[in-house]
Amino acid sequence: MPASTQEKSGPDTGQQTGVYVYGIVPGDVKLHSGVHGVGDPPGEIRLVRSGDLAALVSDVDITRPLGTPGDLQAHQEILDATVADAPVLPSRFGAVLTSEEAVAAELLDANHDEFAAALRQLEGRAQYIVRGRYAEQVILEEILSENSRAARLRDRIRGADPDATRELRIQLGEILNNTVANKRQADTRLLVSAMKDRCAASVVRTATSEMDAVYVAFLIDADQAGELERVVADLSDRWRGRVELQVRGPMAPYDFVGNGG
Amino acid sequence: MTVMQSGGGRGPSPTGLADVIETILDKGMVIDAYVRVSLVGIEVLTIDARVVIASVDTYLRFAEAVNRLDISQEKQGLPGLVGDMQEGGAKHKTKGMLDAATDKLREFGDSGRERQGARRGRREED
Repeated sequence: MPASTQEKSGPDTGQQTGVYVYGIVPGDVKLHSGVHGVGDPPGEIRLVRSGDLAALVSDVDITRPLGTPGDLQAHQEILDATVADAPVLPSRFGAVLTSEEAVAAELLDANHDEFAAALRQLEGRAQYIVRGRYAEQVILEEILSENSRAARLRDRIRGADPDATRELRIQLGEILNNTVANKRQADTRLLVSAMKDRCAASVVRTATSEMDAVYVAFLIDADQAGELERVVADLSDRWRGRVELQVRGPMAPYDFVGNGG
Repeated sequence: MTVMQSGGGRGPSPTGLADVIETILDKGMVIDAYVRVSLVGIEVLTIDARVVIASVDTYLRFAEAVNRLDISQEKQGLPGLVGDMQEGGAKHKTKGMLDAATDKLREFGDSGRERQGARRGRREED
């Protein structure tokens, strides 16, 4: 049963406060007190428990929009701090329910078996994101040395009036863009296959920069985190000067929770 | 240069807002799919998903990057300072729009705050 210290939902429709849901955790987690979440003023994080499940929540003023930088950071920081100690099913940003009772009955109880099974699968695991960016000059030189058509087009636009050579520039740019995309695919395959037996699952993320080389989320057992470091170190050596690699994590498994479709 | 921001088991690394947005945007469990009755329709400020869409602008930018690359190679015989300046200038100018947006967003982030989430109850610490 949820503690109903903050009865907010009344019969009237003028509800001002909702219950923001960060994610779902096992019922045996404990909270640090005094941690605040999204909203202005930010509400204190608390747990709504029901049986062996609990939801990480805080009160939020529903008359104001959510989505300030502080809101987004709070959402991620709370979930990422949790994953160090307990499995968590992260909610998508912006999930608000009417009351604690609704969280307990309609969310936790109604979907108990699915959530409990998902949490068991995530036990002892966390997400890491590996991102690599091409060094622009290096990758462009690489392409020019491999692609004679691109090199010829480069020679034709060199020093020429940009307006007069617009079509040629577009042709050249298209070749470069497509070639970078092909290299991204090949380099991503290399990373994913190197991690194949060293992770529970992987998701290739959509590139958000033209210079993205690899952008992959991995779900990794805590005792395999060192393997990720080794694979990334090996690839860093192999791609030295060409790709700058970065690892972020451990974080909540944002890319590995079902969408309940 | 390779940057390793964090390794295994050492806790979350500090990230900028752009990273936060990219990490959580459109990710995570959609509660609507599980709860229909008591969902509150709160307004969420629109966040533009920065997805690479190839366009003529993209192509022209690539072509320009290659054009500049070529110039800096040709001038290798000149005194180092000139070469360096041109290289630096080219690097700056060919910086994609996306990266520029990222930098802007990053200014908002980096608040340096640290939050603590839930802890497993087995350890009786507080």
